[in-house]
Amino acid sequence: MLNGNVKLYAELGELARYLDSAMKKIAEVGAPMVANGAQLPQAAAHLLDLNKMTEDGTLEVMRLAELIQDNRARAAKELAAVVSTLEAVDCRTLATRLGKTAQELALDDKHLMDIMTALSFQDLVAQRVKKLVTIVEDVHCKLLELVVVFGLKQEGTAPETQGKADEMLKQLEASKSTAIKQELADELLSEFGFK
Amino acid sequence: MPADPNMKILVVDDMSTMRRIVKNIMKQLGFPNVDEAENGKDALDKLKAESFGFVISDWNMPVMTGIELLRAIRADDKLKALPVLMVTAEAQKENLVEAIQAGVSNYIVKPFTAEVLQEKMNKIFK
Repeated sequence: MLNGNVKLYAELGELARYLDSAMKKIAEVGAPMVANGAQLPQAAAHLLDLNKMTEDGTLEVMRLAELIQDNRARAAKELAAVVSTLEAVDCRTLATRLGKTAQELALDDKHLMDIMTALSFQDLVAQRVKKLVTIVEDVHCKLLELVVVFGLKQEGTAPETQGKADEMLKQLEASKSTAIKQELADELLSEFGFK
Repeated sequence: MPADPNMKILVVDDMSTMRRIVKNIMKQLGFPNVDEAENGKDALDKLKAESFGFVISDWNMPVMTGIELLRAIRADDKLKALPVLMVTAEAQKENLVEAIQAGVSNYIVKPFTAEVLQEKMNKIFK
């Protein structure tokens, strides 16, 4: 019986040491993982910025395409009126040539429409980005669960991050605040003697 | 029955770019009377408040999805005959089957062209 107890204590001791060592290993591996995980909300925000940027660009192209469409519609109307006038004064050759020109110009209406529909790529990109953001947010939640379960976060210390992810994120952040507008670039250029 | 060029069309999409694209195509196809809604719920409110002749809806939208909107339309005695065209990035066979079972009038997979939209409209309003 005594022998049995000693063996049981020895086994329990071994198990406790194993658990302790496993916890230390998880903490070792988990801490940097959690620190990197803290960057995920920022990364998700940058992804959503992409949506905004492509949306703005797409709307601007559309605005310009619509302006061209309207101008062309007005020009086509004018041309039709000129053709009618020319026919009325019996300038048939000129009227035919102008009519042909108007037909050729009308072909561009289809190209303009194709440009507009091609811009639907923005919607497809945005939908995929939204799905990626959902995945990133989900991974972040799982990492937070790890923090809670294994107590990986050390109070009072800022998470130490390193590697490519950190560097990229810093670059993305910097591009937001340090990107200069053309006016400022021109100002700097003129300070350096560029006219 | 051919489509009435004066009919009111409702374009439902959470992306402003897509609403504008579809609106522009409809204008070019000779249907200038187009209204917009950002999601199924917004669309359903508009459909109950005003009279529309045609709905073009996306599938993936917040608040109320396109398929939920379609089911709500088909379940409503006053709206159930309204033609609904789904224009969506959901290109799985199961999505199409689900939409057909829910009573969709036709289905377009993004990205699409003006010709495809016209062809589908011609089929719906033949």
